[in-house]
Amino acid sequence: MIKKIRFFLPVLLICLGVSVHLQASIPEEASVANQSLASGHYTEALEAYKLLLATPQFEKFSSPELWYHRGLAEEKTGDLVAASLSYRRALLLDPTLPPARTRLAAVLGTLGVPHALDWHDQLLMRVHPDLLVLGGAILGWVGILAFVFLLLAGPRRPVLIGLALALFILGHGLSIFGTLNDPRRQIANQAVVTAKNAPTIHATPADSSASDGTLAPGSLLTILSRNGAWWKVSDGPAKTGWILSNAVTPLLPSSDRL
Amino acid sequence: MPCSRTLTLSLIALFCFLGWGIPRACAAGDVSVRAELSRPEVSAGEMTELQLKVTGAEVADVPREVAAEGLQIRLTGQSTQVQMVNFKVSSSVVYSYIVMPLRTGTFTIPSIPVRTTGGVLQTAPLSFAVVDGGGGQSASGQGVGVPSAVPPVQQIMPGFSQRPARPAPQRAETGRLAFGEISSPKKTLYLGEMVPVEIRYYFDARYQVQVKGKLDFGSEGILVERFPDPKESREDRDGVTYNVLSFQTLLSAVKPGSIDIAPAKLDSQIQMPGAMPPGFDDPVFQQMLGGRNPFTQARDLTVKTAPLHLDVLLLPKEGRPASFAGAVGQFDMDAFVPNPKPAPGDPAVLTVKIGGKGNFRAMGAPVLTDTEGWRSYPPSDKFEGSDQLSYAGVKSFDFTLIAQQPMKSSPGSEFSYFDPVSAKYVTLNTKPLPLNASPVPTGGTSPVVVAQPQTTPQQGASPAHATAGALDKSGNGDLISSVTLHSWKTPMQRAEFIIASLAMLVASAALTGIFHVRNLQRQKGSATARRRRLAELLASLKTEALDATASYDAAVEYLTLLHTAETNPALLEITTRRDLLKYGVGGSVALSGKEREKLVDQLVQVTSDKA
Repeated sequence: MIKKIRFFLPVLLICLGVSVHLQASIPEEASVANQSLASGHYTEALEAYKLLLATPQFEKFSSPELWYHRGLAEEKTGDLVAASLSYRRALLLDPTLPPARTRLAAVLGTLGVPHALDWHDQLLMRVHPDLLVLGGAILGWVGILAFVFLLLAGPRRPVLIGLALALFILGHGLSIFGTLNDPRRQIANQAVVTAKNAPTIHATPADSSASDGTLAPGSLLTILSRNGAWWKVSDGPAKTGWILSNAVTPLLPSSDRL
Repeated sequence: MPCSRTLTLSLIALFCFLGWGIPRACAAGDVSVRAELSRPEVSAGEMTELQLKVTGAEVADVPREVAAEGLQIRLTGQSTQVQMVNFKVSSSVVYSYIVMPLRTGTFTIPSIPVRTTGGVLQTAPLSFAVVDGGGGQSASGQGVGVPSAVPPVQQIMPGFSQRPARPAPQRAETGRLAFGEISSPKKTLYLGEMVPVEIRYYFDARYQVQVKGKLDFGSEGILVERFPDPKESREDRDGVTYNVLSFQTLLSAVKPGSIDIAPAKLDSQIQMPGAMPPGFDDPVFQQMLGGRNPFTQARDLTVKTAPLHLDVLLLPKEGRPASFAGAVGQFDMDAFVPNPKPAPGDPAVLTVKIGGKGNFRAMGAPVLTDTEGWRSYPPSDKFEGSDQLSYAGVKSFDFTLIAQQPMKSSPGSEFSYFDPVSAKYVTLNTKPLPLNASPVPTGGTSPVVVAQPQTTPQQGASPAHATAGALDKSGNGDLISSVTLHSWKTPMQRAEFIIASLAMLVASAALTGIFHVRNLQRQKGSATARRRRLAELLASLKTEALDATASYDAAVEYLTLLHTAETNPALLEITTRRDLLKYGVGGSVALSGKEREKLVDQLVQVTSDKA
């Protein structure tokens, strides 16, 4: 029986581990772009990062480091709004990337967008949600296997069975918590205001409708619904209304990836 | 029938053209933008209107404010026009700006970037002159001094529902079928002042009326706000009952002098009684219809009001505060700090609320005072109207503040407006409020990290310069040499995780099954052996090979294997007899045939009872 467990555990670890965190070999284009950025050729670096991140290699899996570098290039070329979007994307991929968080806070401060960190962000800064989900899943499944073994083939000691059950609940609880805390869960319905001038938020999807104020460039919005060129968005519970979709950019680089 | 079919096909073709052809034709056209000034030269203190016309695009992204040295240019509204000439359809959107000179001289309004579906287009720069001295080019000279008796706003504004207080309407009757009235509580107003206007159309209630098209109202030199949905009511006039359609809106003037606004027109169609066809003019038939004429004929009618004359006054130059940014009306101001104790490095927010009645859309933001030690940014604003026309309400300005040093109080704020009732400028102030804020501690690990831009954005520095040197800062822009790959999806949204989880589920189920089957086999094996032993014991008892003691031992073993209860009389009796034979008599005693038979019967009986 022990042999069977020894067989299943590596299978689990391989299946989960491979899917999560791939260490990519650095493409040559990335090295060239990094050199351009380091040597002060920001426009060239920006173009290189744009081309690189649009390649199929970085479609379903992308690199937080490259998005961070792209944000740096955009910041240096004066496009702070685009930089904020790139930093947000880098942090979506890897919330534990400290320089991206630092630069995002700096850019949002310059744009005048309030940016406070709550306990979710504090946790994300320390533990990657993937680690919580996958570590929790592994613990949970080990608990389940131990429970089955102890109940059907083991010594049937209540203490050990209780420990196995606790491991199962704790592991899968961590996994669910990590998923709920994962910012990528809402990514399909989030967008950033990328219009250079603060766009007007309307009460109804029409140019002539009453204005409900403006949205600061760089703000993160939740998309509530879409109606052609007009999107209903929310910038917190107090500010909900319609905005032209060309004033915002979805947080997910391409919406067909999910 | 053929005629009806032709009509149906024609209607379908028309709908197809209107629904598909026009938008396609509009969309297919070239996109162009053009800027025009209503007056290229004005006197000091006057304003003018800048129109930005976008042709060939249904939507466009235009700046709310245009930066021009010595001028304040602010977007006030927009309108859409669709034209069809020789079956060529063109649409244009006109964005209206108010241009308010801050001093005299010759100015250049720079190119205005307009983002459309066709890309970013630029308008041509415009020259604009502000000359010193009274009277602009288009001032009509009809005594544009401050009026001695401007009606108080408070008495006028509730006016829409107070019909008796409405000034005597200027009536333009169209026969007795329909007529229109226009009323405004003020005939003399200041530049930028919002004035409510009510337009009422009366239709004889005896006839069915269908309104066609939109209300046509406007004139050069005035800006008319969007019309909300009209209100419907019924009213008796001179013994005739009329259905009344009321339109309410706000208008403001951008040009001083006398302005004659053309009559407001509304196209409608009235169903008039028609002539009876031959055969239907029989009195008996008419009596069957209750005396009504079912045959009507449609009559197109354009209902007009009387023209409206307005006298527009300049805002006085004397006493104009530096913080005046175009607000005209009556306002009050309040300020508060939502979070008076932000964490170190966290931005603080100062909310300034301007409430009252006036031109909220055109007003500028309050000016912050006592800003030493703070870095502030242009505020975001939000308006909450308390009436349908957005004439009254509260406009909130949220200033984001970043402490440059430990601060104990927020900046104050100053807001100036022109009060058309008292014909004076009024300046409101709020005092600094308690606010404990401090910058990011040096070397600390604050939860909110706000960088220190090199210049203050309000001073007009470009963002590129504001963050120059980012790569040079330690830890603030260092390049990362490694490249890792992460998914855009959460693990639970990914197929690999789901497959692995299902595999684990199957593995757990399989493991459970394997253990269960093994336990069953183990139990099954022991049961078979038990049955075999029972059969052997019973068989040996039936033969005479065993002596008495061995026979009773076999019987006890048989009953024990059968899991017989200890209190079973047969077990007790057999056990007692065995003990007696074993320990009392001693030696090997043969079992009689009768006793053997009885013993076997007892065992068979117990077995059958157990079964």
